[in-house]
Amino acid sequence: MVGPIASLSQLNRADGSASYKCPATGYSILGAVNAPIELPARRDALKPEEATVEVFVKPGTTTAGVGERYAEGILRSALGKIVLGREKGFPRRGLVITLTIVGGENVERGDSYLTILPALLHAALLAMVSASVPLSMTFSATLLGVTKSGDIVRDPSPTAAKAAVSLHAFAFSSKNHLLLNESVGRFEFDTWELVRERALSICQGATTSTDGDVTMGEGTASASLNGFIRETVEDQIYSDYAYKLDSI
Amino acid sequence: MRPARAKWPKKESISDPRAGAVRPPSTMSKEAQLSIAERDFILEALREDLRLDGRQHDDYRPLDISFGEEYGHVKLQLGKTHIIVRISAEVTKPREDRPFDGLFNINLELSAMGSPAWENGRTNDIEAYATNTLDRIIRHSNALDTESLCILKGVSCWAIRADVHIVDYDGNITDAACIAIMAGLQHFRRPDAVVRDGRVIVYGVEQRVPVALNITHKPLSVTFNTFNDSKHVIVDATLKEEQAAEGDLVIGINSAGDICYLSKYAGAPADAMAIVNKTNVAWEKVKEINAAVDKVLQADLAKRAKIGMADESRAENDRLIQIE
Amino acid sequence: MASTTTPSNPTPPSLSLPPSQFARLQPHAYLLAHLSPPPASNQPSIRANGRAASQFRVTSANAGSLTHTNGSAVVRIGDTAAVCGVRAEILHTKDIASWSVLQASSEQNFDKSNEAGVSESQDEEDKGHIQDLNLLVPNLSLSTGCAPGFTPGAPPSALAQSLSHQILSLLHTTRLVKADDLRIWYQPPNLDSEEFRNAGEGMDVDTEESGGPEREVKAFWVLYIDVMIISLAGNPFDAAWASVLAALRDTKLPKAWWDADNETILCSDDVADVQRLSLRGLPVSSSFCSFEGDIAAGWRAVVIPDAEEQKQKKGAQQRWILADPDGYEEGLSQERVSVVVDRENGKTVIVKMEKHGGWTVDSDDLRHLVDVSAERWDEMKRILDQC
Repeated sequence: MVGPIASLSQLNRADGSASYKCPATGYSILGAVNAPIELPARRDALKPEEATVEVFVKPGTTTAGVGERYAEGILRSALGKIVLGREKGFPRRGLVITLTIVGGENVERGDSYLTILPALLHAALLAMVSASVPLSMTFSATLLGVTKSGDIVRDPSPTAAKAAVSLHAFAFSSKNHLLLNESVGRFEFDTWELVRERALSICQGATTSTDGDVTMGEGTASASLNGFIRETVEDQIYSDYAYKLDSI
Repeated sequence: MRPARAKWPKKESISDPRAGAVRPPSTMSKEAQLSIAERDFILEALREDLRLDGRQHDDYRPLDISFGEEYGHVKLQLGKTHIIVRISAEVTKPREDRPFDGLFNINLELSAMGSPAWENGRTNDIEAYATNTLDRIIRHSNALDTESLCILKGVSCWAIRADVHIVDYDGNITDAACIAIMAGLQHFRRPDAVVRDGRVIVYGVEQRVPVALNITHKPLSVTFNTFNDSKHVIVDATLKEEQAAEGDLVIGINSAGDICYLSKYAGAPADAMAIVNKTNVAWEKVKEINAAVDKVLQADLAKRAKIGMADESRAENDRLIQIE
Repeated sequence: MASTTTPSNPTPPSLSLPPSQFARLQPHAYLLAHLSPPPASNQPSIRANGRAASQFRVTSANAGSLTHTNGSAVVRIGDTAAVCGVRAEILHTKDIASWSVLQASSEQNFDKSNEAGVSESQDEEDKGHIQDLNLLVPNLSLSTGCAPGFTPGAPPSALAQSLSHQILSLLHTTRLVKADDLRIWYQPPNLDSEEFRNAGEGMDVDTEESGGPEREVKAFWVLYIDVMIISLAGNPFDAAWASVLAALRDTKLPKAWWDADNETILCSDDVADVQRLSLRGLPVSSSFCSFEGDIAAGWRAVVIPDAEEQKQKKGAQQRWILADPDGYEEGLSQERVSVVVDRENGKTVIVKMEKHGGWTVDSDDLRHLVDVSAERWDEMKRILDQC
């Protein structure tokens, strides 16, 4: 399976930016973060003791509608929780995250937005890292579908997602907390737990299951999504500090 | 000795009550203002025929165009201005009063990604101005033949939509967006559709070779900015140059030399002769850029054809194996 | 206070605050004090509104309250009240741009589905039809004055738009409404010998009949589902969804047919002819929020423990999951859980589950919440059946 592709800080004007592409689902997201930024007049939205997180999702080939507002709400609440909005310079300011869907199919009106959530989350996270936003932890997210025959499919393509009995989006923090879960379709709780287990192993690589066995999820730890996020950031730091490395 | 500063924008904004209505759009956003020193530097350098990045007056910044996986997905970089255009098509009902015409819309929405000065979800003047200019140059000049988008009279037609995403803003979005949209329209392939027994059948990309759009001509915009009482006129200004400029002039012109749009929208009055002279410059530029776009386009299509051939031969091989 | 004009009766400054002021000044501490009473006091842990943690507010529903709609309902959950009206409009197939369009790839499927017969594939087809043609159009508005923050003339808030999307998305994923209920058919007169018999039966043609000209869909009913939150005191989604559900159960569509002579759709005004929608299941939504005792847990970076560690010292961790939060509780918690369940042959099926905004709720809690939601399903079914 082809892994995702990501890179950091491609844009000049935004404080931080990242692009994220998931070949399996076809989604390609460009994210930009401006923070800390002076927010315009809407005083009522400003919290005096911490930063106000604003998320804007811009679809590629249509105008934003109710679905985008919903996704923005989910992202705001999920990301707002890991941003250390009380660090110096952030209270009373804004953290504006802009996510443009530059590749992949549109989410149709009334379609569940969760198929694209993992890609949006990753792009937002990397863009925040690129903008040096203080975070309490990082996370990784994945999309899983359960087919009619009961198989769990990772990153189903849009057509596979339409045919799936249930769809699940999960985000796990770098410390194994369940940060976000969105599930739709028809399923039982036991199925959900299996899917959660699988999602955790995709995000974190090898995990220790309850009976003490070490199950190798999707291969080695670096093949996990968390490892991928780490490596992407490491690569960027390496190139950012190349001048120092050369002089050593 | 202090060189005379650009007089127009400043004076007017103080004395003229209508200043808000006629100021060039670039000074309206809340982009960080140029410092006096920066402005003086740019103007003084122009007097010595120099630009900050060493370009000649009639030089564009390096233009880099690439295409995404999908048809009509254009990534364009003009210096540090970065634009993504996506073209999409869907079947809709034509307008009541124009049953033979398809629909074509250009959609440009500025987001905080392009510049922190732009607020998400709110329109600003640059957006309105750029949308209007693009509409006039590309849509109103009928660069895309909308009649060719008709499928079944009064019942169904194609609606083509161009979405422009300004991803990084460093001046001159009109020209950049114009090039990107035109490249996108030429690159885009819509699914084939035929009418059979009063029913429209749309064929998937795998079943029938998708169809290119019918482009009647290739107009592009060339934006000039004037400085020092229109003594100095430059093309493709960066954001800093735009901010230091006293006025702008947009010429929409195609490779054949037909002018389809000419606007001296705001700012200081410009010398009439300068405008006439610059029309020739614009024509040269448009020919140059169109040639460059053509080259990238052909290269991309050739690449696609190669991949397509490879796929086809593989499919044939598969079939042979099945027969055996 | 300077405004007081009765110096004759000076009250000594009180050192304690009345509960209502304490609740406003220190909302978090106020709720925390209720939920964790001192062990000596021997009081049960209870929410500030007097409910137990997994107790829902009193819910009432009333269907058919609006006369000019095809179906309507008012649902009240505590102080949150939602009104829903369903209006059916006719959409001619000739007005649908994509109607005459065949996707060549799906041509075969299309023909198959035309041969009627309810099956699994019909299910799929239903979802596609309803979604592709936008036959369900929900819109939710948070009306002026439903809560202090809502001023007149404002554009739909992000919350209202988000709720509209959730309703639409849930209508689609649950396939609550059957596309067949929304189709208006035309059976061309059979020019064979059967013609006479068919004519005698009027429009009530036997649709399963084969051999004659194929019957065709001439129009669709489009259901405009308008939800108005007239009072917002937390948990708007549960109330809105319940009102949509009750209104759809109440919806009656007049009998409609294609009149070939006039080339138009005619509707019967006979009350006996109306048809109710046959809905698939009864998905019931239950929302929860997680209230954290440690207010700083979210932003003191160094104290966030590993998930496993956190699990082990769970006893010490102070966190309550509150069912059906009111506005006061919603303001004090970020983490939300929403579970939509249905019951199929006595078995609980989860239709939608979402949680975001925190990291304290994990599978054990969710399992519990699904059980709570299943109980809530029984209660809601009783309420909706009575209305």
